[in-house]
Amino acid sequence: MKKIVEFTVNGEPREMTVDTCRSLLDALREEVGLTGTKKGCDVGDCGACTVIVDGEPVNACLMLAVEAEGRSVQTVEGLQPGVDRLHPLQDAFMRHGASQCGFCTPGILMMAKKLLDDNPNPTDEDIRFGLSGNICRCTGYTKIFDAIKSAAREMEAARS
Amino acid sequence: MNMTTPIEKREFKIVGKSVKRDDVLEKVTGEAQYTGDVKLPGMLYGKMKRAAVAHARIKSIDVSKALAYPGVKAVLTHENVPRVLHYGSPHPRSASCTKDQYILDDRVRFWGEGVAAVAAISEEIADEALDLIEVEYEPLPAVFDPDEAVKPGAPILHEVGPGGNLVLDPVRVNRGDVEAGFAEADFVLEGVFSGGRPHPAYMEPNICIADWDGSNKLTVWISTQTSFMVRGILAEVLGLPLTKVRVLVDHMGGGFGAKQDCFQHEFLCALLAKETRRPVKMEFTRHETFVAGRARHPCKVWLKQGFRNDGTIVARDMKLVYDSGAYGSHGPGVTTVGTNAATSLYRCENVRIEGRCVYTNTPITGAFRGYGVVQSYYALDIQMDEAAERLGLDPAEVKLKNAVRQGDIAPSGHAIVGHGLETCIKHGIDAIGWKKLRERDRTPDPKRPHIRKGWGVGCEMHGSSAYPGIKEQGNATVKVNEDGTVTLLTGAAGLGTGAHTALAQIVAEELGVRFEDVGVIHGDTDVVPWDIGAFASHTTYLVGSAAKIAAGKAREAVLERAAMKLQVQVGEIDASEGRVFVIAEPGRFISVAEAIGPSKGIPAANIVGNGTYEPTKSYSFAAHFTEVDVDTETGIVEVKRVIPVHDVGRVIHPIAAQGQIEGGIQQGIGHTLTEDYVIDKKTGRSLNAGLVDYKMPLSMDMPDIETIILEAAPDPGGPWGAKGVGEDPIIAIGPSIANAIHDAIGVRFHHYPITPEDILKALREKDA
Repeated sequence: MKKIVEFTVNGEPREMTVDTCRSLLDALREEVGLTGTKKGCDVGDCGACTVIVDGEPVNACLMLAVEAEGRSVQTVEGLQPGVDRLHPLQDAFMRHGASQCGFCTPGILMMAKKLLDDNPNPTDEDIRFGLSGNICRCTGYTKIFDAIKSAAREMEAARS
Repeated sequence: MNMTTPIEKREFKIVGKSVKRDDVLEKVTGEAQYTGDVKLPGMLYGKMKRAAVAHARIKSIDVSKALAYPGVKAVLTHENVPRVLHYGSPHPRSASCTKDQYILDDRVRFWGEGVAAVAAISEEIADEALDLIEVEYEPLPAVFDPDEAVKPGAPILHEVGPGGNLVLDPVRVNRGDVEAGFAEADFVLEGVFSGGRPHPAYMEPNICIADWDGSNKLTVWISTQTSFMVRGILAEVLGLPLTKVRVLVDHMGGGFGAKQDCFQHEFLCALLAKETRRPVKMEFTRHETFVAGRARHPCKVWLKQGFRNDGTIVARDMKLVYDSGAYGSHGPGVTTVGTNAATSLYRCENVRIEGRCVYTNTPITGAFRGYGVVQSYYALDIQMDEAAERLGLDPAEVKLKNAVRQGDIAPSGHAIVGHGLETCIKHGIDAIGWKKLRERDRTPDPKRPHIRKGWGVGCEMHGSSAYPGIKEQGNATVKVNEDGTVTLLTGAAGLGTGAHTALAQIVAEELGVRFEDVGVIHGDTDVVPWDIGAFASHTTYLVGSAAKIAAGKAREAVLERAAMKLQVQVGEIDASEGRVFVIAEPGRFISVAEAIGPSKGIPAANIVGNGTYEPTKSYSFAAHFTEVDVDTETGIVEVKRVIPVHDVGRVIHPIAAQGQIEGGIQQGIGHTLTEDYVIDKKTGRSLNAGLVDYKMPLSMDMPDIETIILEAAPDPGGPWGAKGVGEDPIIAIGPSIANAIHDAIGVRFHHYPITPEDILKALREKDA
């Protein structure tokens, strides 16, 4: 059975026709064409598909696309504040080498964004806890922690 | 005496700097294209039916219901696919390999092996159709343990190969006189060591997309480390010339070695696409990534060494048995590399080492970072620690005393050039304050009396390149564009290590252009020069050297043109940052674009440099100093701090090199404490094929890592002395943790993973 879903993706209103059994992850990748969000397990274990729905981080593989009706979804493609500008987290991830294969990166960036939105000055423990649902198999997380701390400092400096 | 050639002191413009990686820009914006992001018009979705039995003959397969299911376009079984015996590992490795795989066979050799494949208009329909395929099996006796598999009367998995369930004839290395060595020994240590079945668990599940065009040419998008090897084996099995197979891979979501096999689904994807004349995508689920992917070889090691009372080794007798699972895959390579590696690390003139690799009815094991050496050095390093303990000596000092030196015979059979192990150990001793730690007050902290602290050191060495198992060749093509920018063509895959950035740095440095003016084209077998694949920690070393040669040739051509235009001799000019200038008058210069452009009747120059490099081998070295907390109430071991000290020769991109080390430590902590892909010993069924039940260290588990990279021992074979780094960290961390646990609670473990249950049991036994 298919259903029409109206929702907002990265600030733009969207309408899509999806199978009621389709996950938000598959709908974003297949129907909306936003392939930045990755499928690492499809069962909510790895966090690679983390997106932000109405301000809360969600494993897009565990949410049905029809549940997005009337809601606002932000993906990694919506993280940049402007076409030629990077979000401080994106820039810090580049500088610190926080992304190797990059498959977990979109999910971790979204989780880190949520973390810094809620807690602009996280401690090391806050960052570790904040990322506890996101698997990275390449970096040992060290550079990711560095990048998030660095981005937090820059965002703080920009605010003051 | 340290005879190592000191690294050449010189000023680099680009090499040695952590320049921004272009691929990371695409990754942080979500624009990076991975295989699964490719969507073709009319694309079908393929799925595989997998056996729920470990060893059986297929009596019949009925696919009629599946074929009749609406939306199903094709079903393949062993009855309608080409029956061509082929290698699992597509390496030109050699004589020691046995062709032991069919695309689909009338026999199942492990629980989870594919028996049929379906293409349908959606993944859901393909999945549903799998349940409609009826397979009747005639079960065969199965064997799950390598020791059982080699006993007379054990069920035999393959009719090919040396027989007796051996994947290859035993690998033997004999040097000196082992018996005479033992006769000289003051004492002998003997132990049995064993390793579990860690899985690489790369984030991107295996995936491929196949499409045939009207000229009967096959294009395959695939997440592979070895695109040319895949092209070769697909062409061989499908009976196509290489011009009719094109393999494409842009970004990869990790591989760690395991994505260098040719997998069943890759052949089937091509055949389903051929049958339906439509593109077909086949993507593993995470469960399939475990069951049908490749794990590290479980290994049992018997090690007996004779020592003198000064801690030196006088004899080494060792037997290793690697479990290959149901097919050979990388078994021959892993066994050869692991067995040969055991001759070295700690010096010994009298060695007798035998490595075996055995088929069992378990999922296939294959290539994985540390390739056979993780297993053999875990045993060697821990026994070295035990020798020090017995003598009441400092293990770091004993390891230093026995560390392999310049000119010693390396595992490859050559004299070692560029050895850095002694430097790494010495540096680490100072960095962590090792001597003070050894003499510390061992009274537990009264606030946490159940916690015991321990420190351990573990050492390793690892070759950049797979020589002599494979004689590798690195290739690169460098083209200078008319605006002075440069395009590098390379076949090396981009696993995510940053290798393409390092190659671009090497080209920019050698050619004398800016880093940002070098573009890298990769991942298309129709376009880029042949490449053996990204493995064996060799891309920067091997392809880097080829890129340097190619850039050097292009540079010569640019300088010749510039000399003509500047009306000076070639020897009087130099190139840097896109300008060619007169050395004596740096203000007199022209741009690279001007140098090669047309002028006054001279046509533009088409400058292309090709580089080919065929190395032997270099070795990188590491000593890891590790602090653990052992909770004597829960048995949980927490790794608190690691100081990895690595010698990798010249560092091309410091942050990328650190990233390799820190990521390797993460995986190695997992291997040693929590990770084990468990196969049921009664049925052969996977028990934890998922990311919740397979326990990897995550953000909460990672220790502080203070990475130290020494440019102590450059190898003349690498670009400006650069050597490999990818595999080293995962080898050294394991024994350092096991040794630290011993330091904390006085118990020796000879296996991994060392679980909380093991710790508690050992503590109970110790108290009893």
